[in-house]
Amino acid sequence: MNPAFEEERALMLQLQEADFVVVELTLYTDTHPDDQDALDQWREAIKRASKIRHQYESRYGPLSLASIPTEQAIEAGWRWNQTPWPWQR
Amino acid sequence: MWVYEKKLLYPVKVDTCNPKLARYLMEQYGGADGELAAALRYMNQRYTVPDKVIGVLNDIATEEFSHLEMIATMIYKLTKDATPEQLVEAGLGAHFVNHGHDLFYENAGNVPFTATYIQAKGDPIADLYEDIAAEEKARATYQWIIDVSDDTSLNDSLRFLRERENVHSLRFRESVEILKEERDRKKFF
Ligand SMILES: [Fe+2]
Repeated sequence: MNPAFEEERALMLQLQEADFVVVELTLYTDTHPDDQDALDQWREAIKRASKIRHQYESRYGPLSLASIPTEQAIEAGWRWNQTPWPWQR
Repeated sequence: MWVYEKKLLYPVKVDTCNPKLARYLMEQYGGADGELAAALRYMNQRYTVPDKVIGVLNDIATEEFSHLEMIATMIYKLTKDATPEQLVEAGLGAHFVNHGHDLFYENAGNVPFTATYIQAKGDPIADLYEDIAAEEKARATYQWIIDVSDDTSLNDSLRFLRERENVHSLRFRESVEILKEERDRKKFF
Protein backbone atom coordinates (compact mmCIF):
# COMPACT_ATOMS: atom_id res chain seq x y z
CA MET A 1 0.00 0.00 0.00
CA ASN A 2 1.37 3.43 -0.77
CA PRO A 3 2.47 5.37 2.32
CA ALA A 4 0.34 8.49 1.65
CA PHE A 5 -2.71 6.26 1.40
CA GLU A 6 -1.78 4.48 4.59
CA GLU A 7 -1.37 7.80 6.43
CA GLU A 8 -4.83 8.87 5.32
CA ARG A 9 -6.26 5.54 6.48
CA ALA A 10 -4.65 5.87 9.89
CA LEU A 11 -6.01 9.38 10.44
CA MET A 12 -9.47 8.29 9.25
CA LEU A 13 -9.39 5.46 11.76
CA GLN A 14 -8.41 7.88 14.54
CA LEU A 15 -11.36 10.07 13.58
CA GLN A 16 -13.75 7.11 13.51
CA GLU A 17 -12.59 6.17 16.99
CA ALA A 18 -12.92 9.71 18.34
CA ASP A 19 -16.36 10.19 16.77
CA PHE A 20 -17.51 6.89 18.17
CA VAL A 21 -16.69 7.99 21.71
CA VAL A 22 -18.97 10.99 21.12
CA VAL A 23 -21.78 8.76 19.80
CA GLU A 24 -21.49 6.46 22.81
CA LEU A 25 -21.36 9.24 25.41
CA THR A 26 -24.24 11.09 23.75
CA LEU A 27 -26.50 8.05 24.16
CA TYR A 28 -25.29 7.56 27.72
CA THR A 29 -25.97 11.16 28.72
CA ASP A 30 -29.39 11.00 27.02
CA THR A 31 -30.48 8.59 29.75
CA HIS A 32 -28.13 9.86 32.51
CA PRO A 33 -28.66 13.63 32.30
CA ASP A 34 -27.38 14.24 35.86
CA ASP A 35 -24.12 12.29 35.60
CA GLN A 36 -21.62 15.17 35.83
CA ASP A 37 -18.62 12.96 35.24
CA ALA A 38 -20.14 11.59 32.02
CA LEU A 39 -21.08 15.10 30.88
CA ASP A 40 -17.48 16.23 31.40
CA GLN A 41 -16.16 13.24 29.44
CA TRP A 42 -18.68 13.95 26.71
CA ARG A 43 -17.53 17.57 26.32
CA GLU A 44 -13.90 16.43 26.22
CA ALA A 45 -14.74 13.80 23.61
CA ILE A 46 -16.41 16.41 21.39
CA LYS A 47 -13.31 18.63 21.62
CA ARG A 48 -11.00 15.76 20.77
CA ALA A 49 -13.09 14.58 17.80
CA SER A 50 -13.35 18.12 16.49
CA LYS A 51 -9.56 18.53 16.66
CA ILE A 52 -8.91 15.31 14.76
CA ARG A 53 -11.64 16.16 12.20
CA HIS A 54 -9.95 19.50 11.61
CA GLN A 55 -6.59 17.75 11.13
CA TYR A 56 -8.07 15.25 8.69
CA GLU A 57 -10.08 17.77 6.70
CA SER A 58 -7.31 20.34 6.38
CA ARG A 59 -5.12 17.64 4.80
CA TYR A 60 -7.59 15.60 2.78
CA GLY A 61 -10.56 17.91 2.30
CA PRO A 62 -14.00 18.22 3.88
CA LEU A 63 -15.91 15.09 4.88
CA SER A 64 -19.11 17.10 4.91
CA LEU A 65 -20.18 20.41 3.42
CA ALA A 66 -20.30 21.88 6.91
CA SER A 67 -16.51 22.39 6.63
CA ILE A 68 -14.54 24.89 4.58
CA PRO A 69 -12.09 23.33 2.08
CA THR A 70 -8.52 24.46 2.88
CA GLU A 71 -6.11 25.83 0.25
CA GLN A 72 -4.02 22.73 0.81
CA ALA A 73 -6.94 20.43 0.04
CA ILE A 74 -8.04 22.44 -3.03
CA GLU A 75 -4.48 22.43 -4.40
CA ALA A 76 -4.27 18.69 -3.84
CA GLY A 77 -7.33 18.43 -6.11
CA TRP A 78 -10.08 17.88 -3.56
CA ARG A 79 -13.60 17.78 -4.96
CA TRP A 80 -16.76 16.76 -3.10
CA ASN A 81 -17.89 14.49 -5.91
CA GLN A 82 -14.79 12.35 -6.02
CA THR A 83 -14.00 8.76 -5.15
CA PRO A 84 -13.58 6.94 -2.95
CA TRP A 85 -17.02 7.07 -1.35
CA PRO A 86 -17.14 5.21 1.95
CA TRP A 87 -18.34 1.92 0.46
CA GLN A 88 -15.54 2.05 -2.14
CA ARG A 89 -12.70 2.16 0.37
CA MET B 1 -32.15 17.80 8.83
CA TRP B 2 -29.14 15.62 8.25
CA VAL B 3 -25.73 16.45 6.83
CA TYR B 4 -23.96 13.65 5.00
CA GLU B 5 -20.48 12.80 6.17
CA LYS B 6 -18.22 10.89 3.81
CA LYS B 7 -17.12 8.22 6.25
CA LEU B 8 -18.42 5.04 7.84
CA LEU B 9 -19.23 4.80 11.53
CA TYR B 10 -16.83 1.83 11.74
CA PRO B 11 -14.55 0.38 9.03
CA VAL B 12 -15.91 -2.41 6.82
CA LYS B 13 -13.51 -4.83 5.17
CA VAL B 14 -14.26 -8.17 3.55
CA ASP B 15 -11.82 -11.01 2.80
CA THR B 16 -13.40 -12.40 -0.37
CA CYS B 17 -16.35 -12.14 -2.74
CA ASN B 18 -19.07 -14.12 -0.95
CA PRO B 19 -22.63 -13.64 -2.27
CA LYS B 20 -24.07 -16.22 0.10
CA LEU B 21 -22.96 -14.19 3.09
CA ALA B 22 -24.36 -11.09 1.39
CA ARG B 23 -27.70 -12.84 1.15
CA TYR B 24 -27.71 -13.55 4.90
CA LEU B 25 -26.83 -9.91 5.57
CA MET B 26 -29.93 -8.77 3.69
CA GLU B 27 -31.85 -9.84 6.78
CA GLN B 28 -30.21 -6.87 8.52
CA TYR B 29 -30.73 -4.60 5.52
CA GLY B 30 -34.42 -5.02 4.68
CA GLY B 31 -35.61 -7.55 7.25
CA ALA B 32 -38.14 -7.11 10.07
CA ASP B 33 -35.48 -6.50 12.73
CA GLY B 34 -32.91 -4.99 10.39
CA GLU B 35 -31.29 -1.59 10.42
CA LEU B 36 -33.79 0.10 8.09
CA ALA B 37 -36.70 -1.03 10.27
CA ALA B 38 -34.86 0.16 13.38
CA ALA B 39 -34.01 3.57 11.96
CA LEU B 40 -37.54 4.20 10.68
CA ARG B 41 -39.17 2.87 13.87
CA TYR B 42 -37.29 5.21 16.22
CA MET B 43 -37.39 8.16 13.87
CA ASN B 44 -41.18 7.89 13.73
CA GLN B 45 -41.58 7.52 17.49
CA ARG B 46 -39.53 10.54 18.47
CA TYR B 47 -42.22 13.11 17.54
CA THR B 48 -44.75 12.04 20.14
CA VAL B 49 -42.80 10.55 23.06
CA PRO B 50 -42.33 12.49 26.34
CA ASP B 51 -39.50 15.06 26.12
CA LYS B 52 -37.17 13.09 28.37
CA VAL B 53 -36.77 10.27 25.85
CA ILE B 54 -36.77 12.23 22.56
CA GLY B 55 -32.97 12.46 22.60
CA VAL B 56 -32.39 8.76 22.93
CA LEU B 57 -34.80 7.95 20.06
CA ASN B 58 -33.41 10.70 17.83
CA ASP B 59 -29.80 9.71 18.45
CA ILE B 60 -30.25 5.94 18.17
CA ALA B 61 -32.30 6.42 14.95
CA THR B 62 -29.42 8.45 13.52
CA GLU B 63 -26.91 5.78 14.52
CA GLU B 64 -29.09 3.10 12.88
CA PHE B 65 -28.80 4.92 9.56
CA SER B 66 -25.03 4.67 9.87
CA HIS B 67 -25.43 0.93 10.57
CA LEU B 68 -27.60 0.64 7.44
CA GLU B 69 -24.76 2.20 5.46
CA MET B 70 -22.30 -0.31 6.95
CA ILE B 71 -24.55 -3.27 6.03
CA ALA B 72 -25.02 -1.87 2.51
CA THR B 73 -21.24 -1.56 2.21
CA MET B 74 -20.83 -5.19 3.28
CA ILE B 75 -23.40 -6.46 0.77
CA TYR B 76 -21.92 -4.30 -1.99
CA LYS B 77 -18.37 -5.52 -1.33
CA LEU B 78 -19.41 -9.17 -1.03
CA THR B 79 -21.33 -9.16 -4.35
CA LYS B 80 -19.73 -6.57 -6.64
CA ASP B 81 -17.40 -9.07 -8.34
CA ALA B 82 -19.81 -12.00 -8.34
CA THR B 83 -20.80 -13.55 -11.67
CA PRO B 84 -24.48 -14.29 -12.36
CA GLU B 85 -23.65 -17.99 -11.86
CA GLN B 86 -22.18 -17.31 -8.43
CA LEU B 87 -25.26 -15.26 -7.49
CA VAL B 88 -27.57 -18.08 -8.57
CA GLU B 89 -25.51 -20.56 -6.59
CA ALA B 90 -25.80 -18.35 -3.50
CA GLY B 91 -29.59 -18.26 -3.80
CA LEU B 92 -29.60 -14.75 -5.27
CA GLY B 93 -30.86 -15.78 -8.71
CA ALA B 94 -34.29 -14.23 -8.16
CA HIS B 95 -32.64 -11.12 -6.79
CA PHE B 96 -30.35 -10.90 -9.82
CA VAL B 97 -33.08 -11.18 -12.47
CA ASN B 98 -35.07 -8.45 -10.73
CA HIS B 99 -32.31 -6.09 -9.54
CA GLY B 100 -29.04 -7.03 -11.22
CA HIS B 101 -26.18 -6.01 -8.95
CA ASP B 102 -28.29 -3.32 -7.24
CA LEU B 103 -29.06 -3.59 -3.55
CA PHE B 104 -32.70 -3.91 -2.58
CA TYR B 105 -34.60 -3.55 0.69
CA GLU B 106 -35.54 -7.17 1.21
CA ASN B 107 -34.75 -9.87 3.75
CA ALA B 108 -32.58 -12.99 3.39
CA GLY B 109 -35.57 -14.84 1.92
CA ASN B 110 -36.19 -12.19 -0.81
CA VAL B 111 -39.27 -10.77 0.95
CA PRO B 112 -39.45 -7.01 0.28
CA PHE B 113 -39.36 -4.58 3.19
CA THR B 114 -42.75 -3.50 4.50
CA ALA B 115 -43.87 -0.77 6.91
CA THR B 116 -45.88 -3.41 8.76
CA TYR B 117 -42.59 -4.44 10.43
CA ILE B 118 -42.93 -1.26 12.47
CA GLN B 119 -45.47 -0.65 15.22
CA ALA B 120 -46.60 2.75 16.48
CA LYS B 121 -49.01 2.25 19.37
CA GLY B 122 -49.31 5.76 20.74
CA ASP B 123 -48.11 4.42 24.08
CA PRO B 124 -44.46 5.20 24.85
CA ILE B 125 -43.97 2.26 27.22
CA ALA B 126 -45.44 -0.20 24.69
CA ASP B 127 -43.32 1.32 21.91
CA LEU B 128 -40.14 1.21 23.99
CA TYR B 129 -40.71 -2.45 24.85
CA GLU B 130 -40.97 -3.13 21.12
CA ASP B 131 -37.71 -1.24 20.63
CA ILE B 132 -35.98 -3.35 23.28
CA ALA B 133 -37.25 -6.55 21.63
CA ALA B 134 -36.13 -5.29 18.21
CA GLU B 135 -32.61 -4.60 19.52
CA GLU B 136 -32.39 -8.05 21.13
CA LYS B 137 -33.61 -9.72 17.94
CA ALA B 138 -31.08 -7.76 15.86
CA ARG B 139 -28.35 -8.79 18.31
CA ALA B 140 -29.36 -12.45 17.95
CA THR B 141 -29.39 -12.18 14.14
CA TYR B 142 -25.88 -10.72 14.15
CA GLN B 143 -24.76 -13.63 16.31
CA TRP B 144 -26.24 -16.20 13.91
CA ILE B 145 -24.58 -14.51 10.95
CA ILE B 146 -21.22 -14.46 12.75
CA ASP B 147 -21.69 -18.17 13.53
CA VAL B 148 -22.03 -19.09 9.85
CA SER B 149 -19.41 -16.63 8.52
CA ASP B 150 -15.74 -17.46 8.11
CA ASP B 151 -14.82 -13.99 6.83
CA THR B 152 -12.63 -12.72 9.68
CA SER B 153 -12.51 -9.09 8.48
CA LEU B 154 -16.27 -8.94 8.11
CA ASN B 155 -16.83 -10.62 11.47
CA ASP B 156 -14.95 -7.81 13.19
CA SER B 157 -17.47 -5.27 11.87
CA LEU B 158 -20.38 -7.61 12.68
CA ARG B 159 -19.19 -7.94 16.28
CA PHE B 160 -19.12 -4.16 16.54
CA LEU B 161 -22.73 -4.00 15.31
CA ARG B 162 -23.79 -6.80 17.66
CA GLU B 163 -22.38 -4.85 20.62
CA ARG B 164 -24.21 -1.70 19.54
CA GLU B 165 -27.51 -3.58 19.71
CA ASN B 166 -26.68 -4.45 23.33
CA VAL B 167 -26.00 -0.81 24.16
CA HIS B 168 -29.18 0.36 22.42
CA SER B 169 -31.24 -2.23 24.29
CA LEU B 170 -29.76 -0.99 27.58
CA ARG B 171 -30.49 2.68 26.75
CA PHE B 172 -34.10 1.80 25.87
CA ARG B 173 -34.51 -0.14 29.11
CA GLU B 174 -33.25 2.91 31.00
CA SER B 175 -35.74 5.02 29.04
CA VAL B 176 -38.60 2.81 30.22
CA GLU B 177 -37.47 3.37 33.83
CA ILE B 178 -37.32 7.13 33.26
CA LEU B 179 -40.92 7.11 31.99
CA LYS B 180 -42.17 4.86 34.78
CA GLU B 181 -40.58 7.13 37.37
CA GLU B 182 -42.23 10.14 35.81
CA ARG B 183 -45.58 8.39 35.70
CA ASP B 184 -45.35 7.35 39.37
CA ARG B 185 -44.37 10.85 40.44
CA LYS B 186 -47.47 12.24 38.73
CA LYS B 187 -49.62 9.71 40.58
CA PHE B 188 -48.35 10.73 44.01
CA PHE B 189 -48.31 14.52 43.74
FE1 LIG C 1 -29.71 -0.76 17.25
